[in-house]
Amino acid sequence: MGRLKPLMVRQPRIFWRKNYIFALAFALLLALPFIFTAHFQHHVMIKVLMFTFLGCAWNIIGGYTGQVALGHAAFFGIGAYTSSLCYIWFGLNPWFGMFLGGILAVAVSAVINYPCFRLHGRYFAIATLALGMIIRLLFTNWRLVGGALGVRLPLLPESLWNFQFHTTKLPYYYIALVLCALIFAILYKIERSKLGFYLRAIKESEEAARSLGIDVAKYKLVAMSISVFFTAMAGTLYAQYILYIDPISLMPLMTSILICVVPVLGGAGTLWGPALGAPILLIAIEYSRAWLGGGGRGIDYMIVGAIMVAIIFRPGGLTSFFQGPRFRQWWRRIRG
Amino acid sequence: MKLLEVKGLTKKFAGLVANDSLDLEIDQGEIVGLIGPNGSGKTTFFNCICGVYPVTKGSVRFEGREITNFPAHKICKGGIARTFQLVNTLMNMTALENVMVGAFCRTTNTNRAREIAEELLEFSGLPEKKDILGSDLTIADKKRLEVARALATKPRLLLLDEAMAGLNPTEQKEAVELIRRIQREGITLLVVEHVMQVIMPLCERLVVLDAGKKIAADVPERIANDERVIKAYLGERYYAKRATLRSE
Ligand SMILES: Nc1ncnc2c1ncn2[C@@H]1O[C@H](COP(=O)(O)OP(=O)(O)O)[C@@H](O)[C@H]1O
Ligand SMILES: [Mg+2]
Repeated sequence: MGRLKPLMVRQPRIFWRKNYIFALAFALLLALPFIFTAHFQHHVMIKVLMFTFLGCAWNIIGGYTGQVALGHAAFFGIGAYTSSLCYIWFGLNPWFGMFLGGILAVAVSAVINYPCFRLHGRYFAIATLALGMIIRLLFTNWRLVGGALGVRLPLLPESLWNFQFHTTKLPYYYIALVLCALIFAILYKIERSKLGFYLRAIKESEEAARSLGIDVAKYKLVAMSISVFFTAMAGTLYAQYILYIDPISLMPLMTSILICVVPVLGGAGTLWGPALGAPILLIAIEYSRAWLGGGGRGIDYMIVGAIMVAIIFRPGGLTSFFQGPRFRQWWRRIRG
Repeated sequence: MKLLEVKGLTKKFAGLVANDSLDLEIDQGEIVGLIGPNGSGKTTFFNCICGVYPVTKGSVRFEGREITNFPAHKICKGGIARTFQLVNTLMNMTALENVMVGAFCRTTNTNRAREIAEELLEFSGLPEKKDILGSDLTIADKKRLEVARALATKPRLLLLDEAMAGLNPTEQKEAVELIRRIQREGITLLVVEHVMQVIMPLCERLVVLDAGKKIAADVPERIANDERVIKAYLGERYYAKRATLRSE
């Protein structure tokens, strides 16, 4: 068939010429830490990137597949604990620990989340939420891994290999940026592959999906595994950044909810959703904490709550504003 | 060897016998019609063959292979596709993407899947609708899309559940034409339909269900004169007439 339009296999050169806006955005992100130079601003920027990454990871199971999982903080925690403890106990380099944490998260999730796939909608959400909290309780009471006191990572000379930086936090920003670029590329690929089509079909109708030959349980498991693998990777990044982990700060309910609200605010099941949601939410939360002191006043909870209410009126999230025909026209004109 | 061989298939829903010991054999290349009043168990029969419901008793064989109670996705992979009476369109996906999901059953290549989907949209008369969202299609187009999507899985047996209900006479004629074209592609069909004038000339063989039981199976001409069939249908027509009288 000669009519085939090679939409997906663009030449890389043409890709960049056509998508110079992406290139520009990436260049801006590279330069951003030199425009906003304060320590706290760097801290906020790292958090924004980390939650963009986490939001992308959640999007695979929660957005594309439509299975609203609310226990992802547990896998974030598993990633942080795995790399940290493997370093302390066995001297394993945290980069390998990051990988190992991902694998462990996949294993744990296969055991505890697989049975949840029989549940739908809010029942699935509640089950994963409860399981997440149980894992946090386990860690809180588990002496061997430091219990409620947590674990302090030993200080090492700063280097990329050691995954530790002390004089400036900037390297963490660039590591997070690379991770975000990685997950963006993977999601871009998934969206255009059989896997992406299957996940979206499952979200639309499991009955139709089954009738078209899709093993729904298997693909939900695949989506969940990819999702928790990346979630755990972010856990290692966080542990290396803070250099101190404990169950209370690592796996609170708030983290699970944020991981879900970031992409939902931006647009669940869209590539750009998390990148839109994360800056809005994280800047609001971090600055309200800084100004009002310690986060103890719960302003951050109120912000997240208010945004969750707002989403009811615009379920498509922010990206849905950019999907009308008028925007598409304008976008085509810009891209030439 | 028969393409499909159903023996003594029984399905009970908490006491209600929706399918009562049904036997059915279909040969390669046939179009078989399955008719019967509402609630006689036609959709349930499809769902039992396709692994949506576990059967209570009986067996289903396809191309000589035992497939009773196989999960739905394996049935599809095995070569049986179906459409839904209540259309099950993937609403937030375009017509093209809907069919591509089906096409991925036989290929992992996205470009190949798009190629297959475009061909099938053309085949089923929807080429200019390919970029329209499932939710924005008319009911007639949704039904055609359902057929195209099922065909994309490359079935050897296609089960159509009231693919013509709710269509106007022109659309019905197009649908009949589509079914004939599907047959010419070498695909065997089992068709559930209500519209007698449509199904009589289309099928080589008719099977009639009433209250879960098979009450007749024969060529259309003889079915039309079968006393029990007339009674089952007359009864329904009678009730329908009463209902319209009352509502007027
Ligand atoms: N999932 C179900 N649970 C309980 N009863 C059902 C179910 N599906 C169908 N039935 C019953 O089985 C009978 C046959 O229904 P169905 O197969 O849909 O008939 P048809 O398609 O011939 O109109 C009906 O009485 C219906 O109420
Ligand atoms: Mg029916």
